[in-house]
Amino acid sequence: MEILTLKNLSFTYPTEEKKAVDNVSLFVKEGEFICLCGSSACGKTTLMRLIKRELAPRGTLSGEIFFCGKAQSELSERESASEIGYVLQNPETQIVTDKVWHELSFGLENLGYSSDIIRLRIGEMANYFGISHMFRSSTAELSGGQKQLLSLAAIMAMSPKLLLLDEPTSQLDPIAAADFIATLKKINRELGTTIIIAEHRLEDIFPIADKIAVMENGALIAFDTPKNVCRKLKDHRACLGFPVSARIWQALSGEGEVPLTVREGRTFFKENFSPRKNDLKTEEEKRETALSFSDVYFRYEKNAPDVLRGVNTTINRSEIFCLLGANGAGKSTVLRAAAGLIKPYRGKIKTAEGAKTALLCQNVQDLFLMNTVKEDLMDILSVYGIKKGEANTKIEEISKMIGISHLLEKHPYDVSGGEAQKCALAKVLLTEPDILLLDEPTKALDPAAKKELAVILRALCKKGVTIFIVTHDVEFAAENADRCALFFDGEILPASDIHTFFSANNFYTTAASRISRGTFDGAVTESDILRLCGKEKK
Amino acid sequence: MNDRITFANFHPVSLFFYFAAMLVFTMFTQNPVLILFSLVGASLFSAATSTREQIFADIKFYVPVFIVISLTNPIFSHSGATPLFFMNDNPVTLEAVLCGVDIAAMISAVMLICKAFSKVMESEKLLCLFGKAAPKLSVVLSMSLRFIPLFKRKFKEIKDAQKALGYFKSGSFSESLMSNARVFSALVTWALENGADTADSISARGYDVGGRKSFALFRFKKRDAILMTITLVLSSVTLVGFLLGKADFEFYPYITQINTDALSVILYAAFGSLSLIPFIFEVKEALHWKYLRSKI
Repeated sequence: MEILTLKNLSFTYPTEEKKAVDNVSLFVKEGEFICLCGSSACGKTTLMRLIKRELAPRGTLSGEIFFCGKAQSELSERESASEIGYVLQNPETQIVTDKVWHELSFGLENLGYSSDIIRLRIGEMANYFGISHMFRSSTAELSGGQKQLLSLAAIMAMSPKLLLLDEPTSQLDPIAAADFIATLKKINRELGTTIIIAEHRLEDIFPIADKIAVMENGALIAFDTPKNVCRKLKDHRACLGFPVSARIWQALSGEGEVPLTVREGRTFFKENFSPRKNDLKTEEEKRETALSFSDVYFRYEKNAPDVLRGVNTTINRSEIFCLLGANGAGKSTVLRAAAGLIKPYRGKIKTAEGAKTALLCQNVQDLFLMNTVKEDLMDILSVYGIKKGEANTKIEEISKMIGISHLLEKHPYDVSGGEAQKCALAKVLLTEPDILLLDEPTKALDPAAKKELAVILRALCKKGVTIFIVTHDVEFAAENADRCALFFDGEILPASDIHTFFSANNFYTTAASRISRGTFDGAVTESDILRLCGKEKK
Repeated sequence: MNDRITFANFHPVSLFFYFAAMLVFTMFTQNPVLILFSLVGASLFSAATSTREQIFADIKFYVPVFIVISLTNPIFSHSGATPLFFMNDNPVTLEAVLCGVDIAAMISAVMLICKAFSKVMESEKLLCLFGKAAPKLSVVLSMSLRFIPLFKRKFKEIKDAQKALGYFKSGSFSESLMSNARVFSALVTWALENGADTADSISARGYDVGGRKSFALFRFKKRDAILMTITLVLSSVTLVGFLLGKADFEFYPYITQINTDALSVILYAAFGSLSLIPFIFEVKEALHWKYLRSKI
């Protein structure tokens, strides 16, 4: 039975001419797991919001939406609220109440259930989602991943038939994101709840999704099983976020069964290619030191445990250095120490003679103080005492280089995640740093925006800027860093070039490396593999 | 939840009645016996639920407060029939001195009761009380409780991000003021922008469906009913005593005799027991645990 039917759905925002959703028809069967993908601003969010009546944006709508055979307008408020669940993107802002149990009961209270029923339901939910140990905690104490899981549990408590999720993992680290996706799979398989999820990170979702819907410029360009979508959309830009196995398959043969997981990718390689020796190792040259840590110790309070426990490392001039490591391990503390925001109680942090550092924090929104991007850029220049005329030329230069000229008059909150990242980067670069410190720069970016960021960073590097990135984005590090190091137990383990680093790691490595291991030892990125196969990617 | 305090484990409604009764009786009497009971009960409970350091800190605070209030009254009030000595040609009377002590005791008792109230009734219990009366108000309260720590944290985050860019560099007062104002305005923008998200989350979960009922984790158990009954009985007795004038007491012009007839004694006993209830529960539980441990 079809649970959701969209017929020739089109939608235009009042202030825009272009259709945000363009003639979309979609049939979703009960119990299906559907992944909606496409670049930022392709209309995914608008489409999802149209399905949930309470969140539908204002504008001109044509076409029809049926839920469980009923037209959307005929649903009662109660049905619409409880049977269609919607999980938003930001874990921080979608939590309403101050206690975990209260968040779980919030929806049920709204529907007017009796205390006994609520007690039973939330107890059940807390158990199913494994959050009973924090049942009485404050929501403020939870990590991002726990918050998102709580939001999901709070919605599942209302036992919806259809669950809509708008990029729920974009703010999470990879481990929390994988946990979240695994929970979704469990809900789908064990409870039969129909799921539609909009996502950029497709590596984990492709193998479990029944169907993939791909959107571009508001139109639905593909709606099929994951394997068929891979066959159909070869060399399409929407494929940027597809699983590495599938992308390599597309680039290499494009024939036979499509591998979606690492396991299938490995089999595909073993069957089709003979082992080849890697010659990708980069020569390490002696370079000037830009930033060095020698035996740095730090703790936040006198009686707290050490966060940095003898950090020792050097970062060379004009290289991209990536520090990887688990969440909450203290990676960001390393950056804060390098930026001079915190003072180590033992050890030394040395920067090259006269070198200036600048830190781009994790939530780029924290950087914006003014009403337009331009005012913000002017503001930072005025803090550095630069006159207006000179400031204007500087802003012009930097906007051209980063590609934000068209955003200057917009409010910093009105631009997309990738654009906000670029504006923030522009603001930081106006301080003319020699050492640029970036905290999780790829968080919440779609694959295309990541690529753009990588190009900008490389260009800066060529100009002599040293870039120190803290991230858990293994793939980004493998593709763009010169050297990598792992942060563990309060220390930075010895750094090495990316090929040595990722081929030595068994778990903490890229999907490409895991797929090709044993066949192409030492290949760590998709382009490495393609090069070894003799197929250079255009 | 404040599990360490036994008395805090009662249902918010029972607790609310108890504290309301104690506060009203203490505030509306001058009778030194009743005030003494109230003060002793509140002090013992405060001591039983505090660490040694907290007790010393409390003594350091309450004793000076007590002395200052006691001294203030005879300086300003010159009523009373028994002058002790003259200060700047004004009599300092025995009645005024004793009245000052009485007022000081009353104010200290009220402060201690309020302190106990805030210790025992955390935000969740207050929410439960309000939720019963106004289910929508309780959501607003719960949201505010979430926002305060969130704003604090965000303010620091924004400030740090700005510091790393070179704001707050000179450390001068005017610059720091300007930079703080910038951070604050950014915080407001952030709050408004993200408030829209929260509003979506609220309406997506059926806030507008109507017929909202408030839910709280507290369940009204037998022991809550017992506390409620005891409170009601003892306060009714006290109230009757008040109405019959058994609690009346005057300092001016002469100090009245303390009533010692049978009815008054019943009043004292009732109010005395009421004052000591929290302390008795604390001690009983402590002894009970000791007994359990000795058995293990």
